[in-house]
Amino acid sequence: MAVDPAQIVIGPLLVALVTAVACLVLGFSRRLQVVVSVVGSLAYLLVVGVLFQTVATGGILVYQLSAWPAPFGITLVADPLSTYMLGLAAVVALASIVFSVRFVDPFGQGLSYHPLFHFMLVGVSGAFLTGDLFNLFVWFEVMLMASYVLVVFYSGAEHTRAALQYVVLNLVGSAVMLLAIGGLYATLGTLNMADMARRLANPAAFGVDPAPVLGLTALLFAVFALKAGIVPFHFWVAPAYRAAPAPVAAMLAGVVKKVGVYAIIRLYFLVFAAGTLPVGLPGVSGDSILDFYGPILLVTATASILLGGVAAVGQDEVDGLLAYSSIGQIGFIVLPLAVGAMVPSVRSLAVAAALVYTVNHGVAKSLLFLTSGAIFEATGTLRFSDLGGLVERVPVLSATFLVGGLSLVGLPPLVGFLGKLFVFDALVRARATFALAVALVGAILTIAYVTRAWNRGFWGPPLAGEVESHRGEVAVLVALALVVLALGIGGEPLVHAAQAASAAALDRAGYVSAVLGGAAA
Amino acid sequence: MTEVAFALLLGLLFAVGTYLALRRDVVRVVWGVTVMSQAANLYLVAMGGLGGAVPILSHGGGSNPAVTDPVVQALVLTAIVIGFGTTAFSLVLTYRVYEEHGTIDLDDLGEGA
Repeated sequence: MAVDPAQIVIGPLLVALVTAVACLVLGFSRRLQVVVSVVGSLAYLLVVGVLFQTVATGGILVYQLSAWPAPFGITLVADPLSTYMLGLAAVVALASIVFSVRFVDPFGQGLSYHPLFHFMLVGVSGAFLTGDLFNLFVWFEVMLMASYVLVVFYSGAEHTRAALQYVVLNLVGSAVMLLAIGGLYATLGTLNMADMARRLANPAAFGVDPAPVLGLTALLFAVFALKAGIVPFHFWVAPAYRAAPAPVAAMLAGVVKKVGVYAIIRLYFLVFAAGTLPVGLPGVSGDSILDFYGPILLVTATASILLGGVAAVGQDEVDGLLAYSSIGQIGFIVLPLAVGAMVPSVRSLAVAAALVYTVNHGVAKSLLFLTSGAIFEATGTLRFSDLGGLVERVPVLSATFLVGGLSLVGLPPLVGFLGKLFVFDALVRARATFALAVALVGAILTIAYVTRAWNRGFWGPPLAGEVESHRGEVAVLVALALVVLALGIGGEPLVHAAQAASAAALDRAGYVSAVLGGAAA
Repeated sequence: MTEVAFALLLGLLFAVGTYLALRRDVVRVVWGVTVMSQAANLYLVAMGGLGGAVPILSHGGGSNPAVTDPVVQALVLTAIVIGFGTTAFSLVLTYRVYEEHGTIDLDDLGEGA
């Protein structure tokens, strides 16, 4: 039987799903379960690597489920943007899983930790790969269902409270997403993303009215902003990240959050940007649907950077600081997107900047969350007032925290430097004075809260003697810190991948013809 | 006429859902969110068109009748199953909140922060 090379597209989904089910079945033997879980994450990284390479050399791969041709069946699409995001997910997931083996207590792991983690990964992979809007909703739900349980995993007083907030907000978000999808289907007559783009680009030929699309995409935007934790949809972020076990917080901040960013790039820059609406609004220069989102993205990004930064400076605990910093850093990802939406000449560069920053935040923030988990395990506290002098007590953990923190600040030779460089480059080229000012203030706030954390928690007289931290955990942290360093020093492949992803995110004709066949373009 | 009635019903359901979701009692909040997601399901069905025949084409018949869109019905089935799971989870979570805090009044929960 001949194997269609495009079948590799479904690989990441299958690997994660099989691992999740196997972990569930092997619940009787903790040792076996852990082995399968770690091997499954390794296999996931491997298959994502193969997919990445195949797409990088051979172009977009499309897998039509059950061989139903698009736009009638569900389509999985692997383009450079999808594989870029999958790569981030694979690295962070592997580090988090290996870290969890020692970090999460044996009873908790025996319950359902590993299956849930892999089910979350299934949802994330599906969201990155799907080419169908309703299918995106389903993968969101798969991802969220697992994350609900993982957030409430310790199920103490504060954890249940945080989870309640997280669950209710996301349930409302799901209802709103259904509304937007239903409306878009009624308006455009399709759920396939490529088909949507094709119909929006040529409304007269398909008899669709692009006007309602604007309002419906605005509804949808609220949902994605909620998933990404962008101000003013950020309320759940800090409690949920603090309540979740550290490896889960790393995954939530590093990967799950980025699903919202990915959906904004995919749908608004590729699909909805195809539609034109000749309605002049103040502050909107063009008449593409994307142009309407420029000011919205700019305002939300500004609010995220300022609110996240200021709140992070005022935090008394390490995990609270990291959680609020996530809100601020997501602003740095959305800011170039805003400028890219408003200034078409730098759009490609701006999307690439957002993607480089996404990897920076994904890797550095998960490193920081994992480190904070290890610090808590070693010292029993995360309050700055009770920490003090960690440099002498846990030298290696302090070093990995420093690497993560400096990467957020954007110091060379770490990957954060590339992220900040690209973001500022895009803003300067766009001559976006306001956005530049915001980014500068945000950068200063980042320096302020990282420095404050370092001064209060790590320097100063040690409050107690040196404490042991587990070798396995430290090894994961050092490896992740080396990834941050390596991506900074040898940043060329990362930059190339981000540029290819950005080109794919803006190449509507290529995407549409790959999914719907050559005749459709 | 059906459409106006449907639109009014949807509006009413969303109003009820929002009202309940803004109450202090966690159980009511959960019901509110459930009502909202059911309203979204009804809305999805409505998006397929309210008129039309059963979406089964007659065997070998000459002309195809105007049919109701079957896609939205498949979507709604999926959404109902997902809604079932999330509702069950949020009710269990509510019970767990009660166990941990001894209350399901949101004001009391907030003060314990």
